[in-house]
Amino acid sequence: MLISLSWIKDFVELPDLPPKVLSSMFTLATAEVEDVITKGDALKPILCVEIKSLRPHPESDKLNLVTFDYGKGLLKEVVCGAPNLSIGMKVPYAPIGTTLPNGMTLEPKKIRGILSDGMLCSEVELGLGEGKSGLMNLPSDVTPGTSLVDFLKIPSDVVLDVDNKSLTHRPDLWGYLGLAREFAAGHGKPLKNPFTPAWTTKIEGSFTKDPSPINLEVSDDSDCLAYLGLSIDNIKMGATPDWMKSRIETVGLRSINLIVDISNYVMVELGMPNHAFDRDKIQGNKLIVKHAGSTLKFKTLDEVEREIIATDTIITDANRPLVLAGIMGGHDAGVTEQTSKIFLEVANWEAPEVRKTSVRLGLRTDSSQRFEKTLDSNLCYRTLLRLTELVLQLCPGSKVVGSPVKFIKENKLSHELTLEISHEHIISSLGMEVTKERIRSIFESLDFKVVETNGHFKVTVPTYRTTKDISCKADLVEEIGRMIGYDNITPVSPMLAVKPVRLAHTKQFHRKIQDFLIMQGRALQVMTYPLTGKDLLEKSHWPVMNDHLVLVNALSVEQDRMRPSLIPSAIEMAAQNQKHFDSFAFFELGRSYLDYEKERSQLLIGLYSKEESRFLELENIVEKLLTTLNIGFAFAPRSDKFVNAVMPANWPGLHPHEYQNVQIMGKFAGALSTIHPLALKNFKMKGFLSLAVIDLTDLEARELKDKTKYSAIPKFPSSSCDFTVVMDKNQPAASVLAALSSLKQKEIKSKSILDVFVMNETQKSVSIRTVFEDPEKTLASEVIKDLEQKVIQALEKSGFPLKS
Amino acid sequence: MQLESLLSEFNKELAGVQKIADLLNLKSKYIGKQGPLSDLMKNIKDASPEEKKRIGSVANEFKTAVESIVAQKMVELELAEINASLDKEKADISLTDSVLEKGLQAGGMHPVTIIQQEIEDIFISMGFEVLDGPHIEDEFHNFEALNIPATHPARDMQDTFWFADKKHLLRTHTSTIQVRGMKERKPPFRFVGPGKVFRCERTDASHEMVFHQLEGMMVGENVSVGNLIYFMKTLLSEIFKKTVEVRLRPGFFPFVEPGFELDIQCLICGGKGCSVCKHVGWVELLPCGMVHPNVLKAGGIDPEKYNGFAFGLGLDRLVMMRYGIDDIRHLHSADLRFNSQFKTF
Repeated sequence: MLISLSWIKDFVELPDLPPKVLSSMFTLATAEVEDVITKGDALKPILCVEIKSLRPHPESDKLNLVTFDYGKGLLKEVVCGAPNLSIGMKVPYAPIGTTLPNGMTLEPKKIRGILSDGMLCSEVELGLGEGKSGLMNLPSDVTPGTSLVDFLKIPSDVVLDVDNKSLTHRPDLWGYLGLAREFAAGHGKPLKNPFTPAWTTKIEGSFTKDPSPINLEVSDDSDCLAYLGLSIDNIKMGATPDWMKSRIETVGLRSINLIVDISNYVMVELGMPNHAFDRDKIQGNKLIVKHAGSTLKFKTLDEVEREIIATDTIITDANRPLVLAGIMGGHDAGVTEQTSKIFLEVANWEAPEVRKTSVRLGLRTDSSQRFEKTLDSNLCYRTLLRLTELVLQLCPGSKVVGSPVKFIKENKLSHELTLEISHEHIISSLGMEVTKERIRSIFESLDFKVVETNGHFKVTVPTYRTTKDISCKADLVEEIGRMIGYDNITPVSPMLAVKPVRLAHTKQFHRKIQDFLIMQGRALQVMTYPLTGKDLLEKSHWPVMNDHLVLVNALSVEQDRMRPSLIPSAIEMAAQNQKHFDSFAFFELGRSYLDYEKERSQLLIGLYSKEESRFLELENIVEKLLTTLNIGFAFAPRSDKFVNAVMPANWPGLHPHEYQNVQIMGKFAGALSTIHPLALKNFKMKGFLSLAVIDLTDLEARELKDKTKYSAIPKFPSSSCDFTVVMDKNQPAASVLAALSSLKQKEIKSKSILDVFVMNETQKSVSIRTVFEDPEKTLASEVIKDLEQKVIQALEKSGFPLKS
Repeated sequence: MQLESLLSEFNKELAGVQKIADLLNLKSKYIGKQGPLSDLMKNIKDASPEEKKRIGSVANEFKTAVESIVAQKMVELELAEINASLDKEKADISLTDSVLEKGLQAGGMHPVTIIQQEIEDIFISMGFEVLDGPHIEDEFHNFEALNIPATHPARDMQDTFWFADKKHLLRTHTSTIQVRGMKERKPPFRFVGPGKVFRCERTDASHEMVFHQLEGMMVGENVSVGNLIYFMKTLLSEIFKKTVEVRLRPGFFPFVEPGFELDIQCLICGGKGCSVCKHVGWVELLPCGMVHPNVLKAGGIDPEKYNGFAFGLGLDRLVMMRYGIDDIRHLHSADLRFNSQFKTF
């Protein structure tokens, strides 16, 4: 939205402040000004001068030395290359120091050895015209020394460019009268509102007793909230006056013809879009407002044929649609240079419906943009009168026929709203002392009516602020706050009861995992997208496609659904990274998605090496991590019987040997696997990638309890015994220790593997150490002997004979 | 006399000793059972008592001197021997991981985690809890409860990812955490909610469809705009590690009333105006405001009795500012050339 301050001055006297200050005050009190554009100022130093003599430049054929009178007979000389020079010619002159509209600042400069004292200008150089070459030829009656700006009456103006988004909630600010009210309230100046009851009576004086030439029919189920119209005859389409043309161009609209320009001018001035019909083109002397009822083609003013659907509201004559309600007029019934009879329309429409249609058609107009904000139907009549006033004023001889036709949907009419608020509430909400008098004056400057008794305010809000904007006490607090200036509020700490706050269990849990994996696992934390696509899932042969979690408006097929697992994206990222690193370790704390309201919080750890499998390292990391977190767990072999959702048994990416299920609280809550080389091949990946996934969903919310209990350091010596057994080469060595777990001897303090030695093609030897201990006494040698025998028996019973 | 020359003889021989065994031999040669001292002692039984006494004390002096010299020499020889063996086993201590091909292989947090944790800790220290919620939300939590009805133009401002049932969506802001947070608590309370949010937006160097926000909310009796400014100023001064000047100006967000845009005084030019702040001296940083009564109601809180403030902070932009990251897309790329730069823990 462009705000021309010179136009604003129609309604309020602005204080004499630099544009930057005005703009920053508007930003702080009302809405964000994105840019301040100064117009006309650049030309202020330019003078009208008269050429007195010419002589050729001694060093150049094309240049002349021009002497001119710049007022009161004072002379100066410049070097000039213009072709259209003649003695007595009146031209514009820019002295040294002038900054031209193109940004160039004139500095003292020698041209081919001769100092030029400024510059004579063309229209292009002054930003006043296009393409014409040569100096600007000023009328001969101009007195040398006159300021060009004064002579040409070039208006100087400051235009504020306001972010439209910051006006979304303020329908009243889509017109200059409303904007002027903000300036008036902000600067403590009175608003000059010319649209008084006396003015209304004066315009109504132009109405006649004739019947309306147009019959209006508004269908009740249409999206029409109000429809007012008036006919005017004897239109002679003259030129739009310069002041109006320049104003509508300043705010970015194009001048079309007098009537359209008046229509646009009034829309900008009062914030209410409106429309002018050429009455000769209205067939059957009737206008009907209704839902289109069926799909139809309609050519809008911009000559684009658009598809109207049944629920769009349109305005038709007896035979055909003429206007797409609230958005744009049709190509057929618009006003042209030949128009002599018009019908002025000021209507109001259901905001959401206008928005829906305009979004669907991709057609956002100055009109739809305003109707979307929920305008006040009460303002239609004033707008119609203002249109009438300007038409009668600018088309001499034109006259009103009859009086306005009216439709108002009474039950949707915006009403004044009276809210009660206490002085104390305003002060405590803002956290700042404000006097009752100041509050009253702010409310009144915003056109609110105020009745105050003992610090209790009854505030009546005008209809144009209650359509959507103001509805509760908090809205009133805002009005006071922004007018005082939020930056005048002192930051103050609240007085609060002291109470301990701890990081949520989930957060603590995640932080421990992060710290562990970074310090112990030397892994880098990564983030991959929670969105994925069918291609990646197929490429990794993932058995779940998540077709039920596809987005309807995805940006690409690669990211059109929620991921069922962190694994495919991990393989993909590893494939990218193997190009740059021979080995790496990473982890992600992310989510996978099973269904609505079924998000799983998961940890993925990945180890990669070009050279060798790091599966054992991964197992160790997981083992240490879960131990550190005090989570009871067990590794378990692959199972076809019980489903492991984190790494389904039917996923072809699983390794035949390097695989472990992670059992937590009796459930498969995780798994580790080296990724099958064939699966890596799909990703053009070489080397060894091992992944672990642990589902944290059921673990993370629990409090991490440290259940460690100290036990006394033994007072009596322990004794250790080593045994070496022979076993099948392919059998896991750790099964030797498992064989001893059936031995319920409290003296066995620990058992561990010392060494593994491959003896031949089929056998290996495994040395283990057991430590015996009795907390009460030193073990007698007979007891130790007996224990040794029991260990040997247990080993042999499990098929592990001692090596002879 | 005899003993004095004996001692100088001993010292002469000692100079040539290189090994511990030789030293022990030398010791026993002079003060051992077969040595001259022992001979001397054997002979003194014929001497007079005074003579005996004198010889005894001289012999003792000699013995003590030899023992002390030997002990000292022993330490020297032992040290030389160990050092010689250490020299043989000398490891190359210049070969740290960082000079090897495999590199330092240090782990590290994701930069978003670094900043997020830092901010979480600041808020914890000020008595805020830290919450999160689901990514897949419904219309109620993402819009309705936040005072954004179906017809509200504010829904245009959010480019929402929708699921096929047209009821579920990916949360477009962490404000959804507000709704759940309010329902589970009784005022007074205050919490923040960091997390991923999703927008259906074409990506480029400064736009992502998945990014991170941190929502904050405080509800109680007589919470004021002054309190909001206090917390924001404190937070930002902690984040930027210097006093940050803030200003509020009106901003429209349906879930707050009054709503504000919070600007910080440009940290580059200190408010004088530069290219970073577009010569305004202020940089827009975060939206905030006093919680709209309708939002409190949707959260089961009586707006007549309680009020509060809320704010939303974009984490990715802070991360990019802190580390000078030029492209937001790096954050979700999992490109370890990016991630491995964040090793400081």
